[in-house]
Amino acid sequence: MGLSGWLMRWASVRPLVVTGVYGTRTRLLVEAEMARRGWAVALSPGEANLVVVCGVPGEGLAQAIRVVWEEVAGPRALVELLSDATPDVVVAALDGAVVALADEPGQRRAAAEREPPSWPMDHGMDHGGMGHGGHEHHMGSPGGVAMADRGPDRDGLKLDRLHVPLGPVLADWPSGLVVETVLQGDVIQQATVHVVGGVAGGVSFWDEPWVAALEGRPVTRGEAERRRAASHLDSIGRLLAVAGWPSAAMEARWLRDRTLAGESRADLSRDHARFARRVRRSKILAWMLRGVGTSAGPGASPEEDVLSRLRRWLDRTGDAMSALDDTTPLVGDDGPRGPVGERPSAAALAVLPRLLDGAELAAARLIVAGLDPDLDQLAQEPLHAV
Amino acid sequence: MPSEVLGLAAALAALVWGAAALDARLGASPQSRLVGGGVARPWREAARLLVQQRRRTLLPDVLLTRIGVLTLLLAPVLAATVLPLGGAPVADLDVGVVWFNAMEVCVWAALWLIGWGANSVYPLIGAYRYVAQGLAYELPHMFALITVAVGAGSLRMTDIVQAQHGLWYAVRMPVAFLVYLVSALAMAFWGPMGQPLGRDLAGGVPAELSGADRLLFLAGRYAVLVVVAAAAVPLFLGGGAGPLLPAWAWTLVKTVAVLVLLVVARHRLPAVRMDRFMGFSWLVLIPLTLAQLLVVGIVVLP
Repeated sequence: MGLSGWLMRWASVRPLVVTGVYGTRTRLLVEAEMARRGWAVALSPGEANLVVVCGVPGEGLAQAIRVVWEEVAGPRALVELLSDATPDVVVAALDGAVVALADEPGQRRAAAEREPPSWPMDHGMDHGGMGHGGHEHHMGSPGGVAMADRGPDRDGLKLDRLHVPLGPVLADWPSGLVVETVLQGDVIQQATVHVVGGVAGGVSFWDEPWVAALEGRPVTRGEAERRRAASHLDSIGRLLAVAGWPSAAMEARWLRDRTLAGESRADLSRDHARFARRVRRSKILAWMLRGVGTSAGPGASPEEDVLSRLRRWLDRTGDAMSALDDTTPLVGDDGPRGPVGERPSAAALAVLPRLLDGAELAAARLIVAGLDPDLDQLAQEPLHAV
Repeated sequence: MPSEVLGLAAALAALVWGAAALDARLGASPQSRLVGGGVARPWREAARLLVQQRRRTLLPDVLLTRIGVLTLLLAPVLAATVLPLGGAPVADLDVGVVWFNAMEVCVWAALWLIGWGANSVYPLIGAYRYVAQGLAYELPHMFALITVAVGAGSLRMTDIVQAQHGLWYAVRMPVAFLVYLVSALAMAFWGPMGQPLGRDLAGGVPAELSGADRLLFLAGRYAVLVVVAAAAVPLFLGGGAGPLLPAWAWTLVKTVAVLVLLVVARHRLPAVRMDRFMGFSWLVLIPLTLAQLLVVGIVVLP
């Protein structure tokens, strides 16, 4: 009734999107529909009034989602979509969320029934990724929370050590990835990587055409290149968002959505060429990305910096777009991230801890976005990498 | 006097809304822009935050957070009192430039308190970033302001406007003006200098704020942006001077022009990280502003 009811009907919707394993297809549908409606995404539970879960989360992710849901202030709504949701289902679910958010009596009832937040007392791990690092304390701990321990940092100062998980619920972050960090200030002293799995037994959305071709089903090269272009544009959008260039990230995602919607080669190639020129020409972006993610140490493959990876994605997207009309059968297994049979994302995860050690948080986010591992590639078996 | 205060408040509120609407319009997705999306977003966002409940993190420092949020709103309003909006400012202090700068430094404290108060990692790191940003931009910024004060021979805003009769300081001291524009972005933690609220930090400093707290934070943030844009007018663009229109109208036109420039910059330029910018600021911007100060000092000396 009255003013608050009117405000609730008029209020904007800020969704926090969480993706489970094999939820990529649904996430793309949700993101495209949100863009059509002009909804801006929420970056944290504090900013959100809607949580959208794409795909079925496994146990670890489900627990993180429960914590995040508890942190969302009312009025709020939750939408859960399966990995095979159709566009109509997505539209109907988001419409339903809008109705639920404007339903004043319902929201009041939910608020009255809501229990006061229960804080997990052992710290860090259980915080579902939005990292209330807090201060650990050994004796007389306030509120039962331990204070941070301390140690020398890289500048020879003695600083608090916080144990903070990055992910699994984090904007512009590979779904299912958790990086357990020991932070001093904003410098990662130590990083370990693990994956919160989902329901196993599917194929990565980005690898589908190549997997299908390997299994002997007819796939044209044009279809596969369309998927490849969209995959790279998705990665580019993520990287540009993390790099703090939201308008360019939005352009990349718009191109991605149009590519998946089946737009013609001529339009896409022209607009991609313009977009790629804009990104390449940015001196500030090059200044910020150059030299990030290289590591002097010996070992595994990706030794190039984030800037060269971004440029390679732009090139490959352009090449893929010029082959959109190719109707010859697809041969080979060279998917967007490399040979689909060899699970290139597992290799990327293996080098991640070494690349992240000693990195500042901003650089760490860029490094992860620059590799953009697709964890659906390894969901067939639970992975507990170092 | 009361009419001036009311006029200032009304102008600030209108410009805050205008900046937010333009920003929402430029930031709207291409699909929704076709159907006119964006401009209503500040109102819809305000409606959402008005009905949203407050939330708490584990063991927050609520008092410090509240002080921070209120400071973020009050500091730009107090800074605006020394800006001449056509006629005399609300408070024509003889140390107007120093007052403006002091209020701007209060924004540092505000962001630090908000980032600290939530007892949460991402806001805290956002606050670290803002302090690092302060170290990078504040010295070139101060030298730019000092150059203006030396040129006019006064720290009073109205004297500075008077001294630009004939030639704007933006033309006479272009380096100081450009440095001021960069530091305006940094002061308002806006656009390329917006990493204290970075997307890579889940929103950074205000990540844990909801409801009325977040609404006040956003209002304060846009108010800082409007005031740093408005301050460029008396400092560098000749204040209300101009043909035909009255002084208040020229002040408004020039303020809007600078504001549009700052908002558009956000959608054109990628973010700058302080680990890279710090060196540039100290090794390039500080010497440049000092050289500018030297040139102005030699010209001014009798």
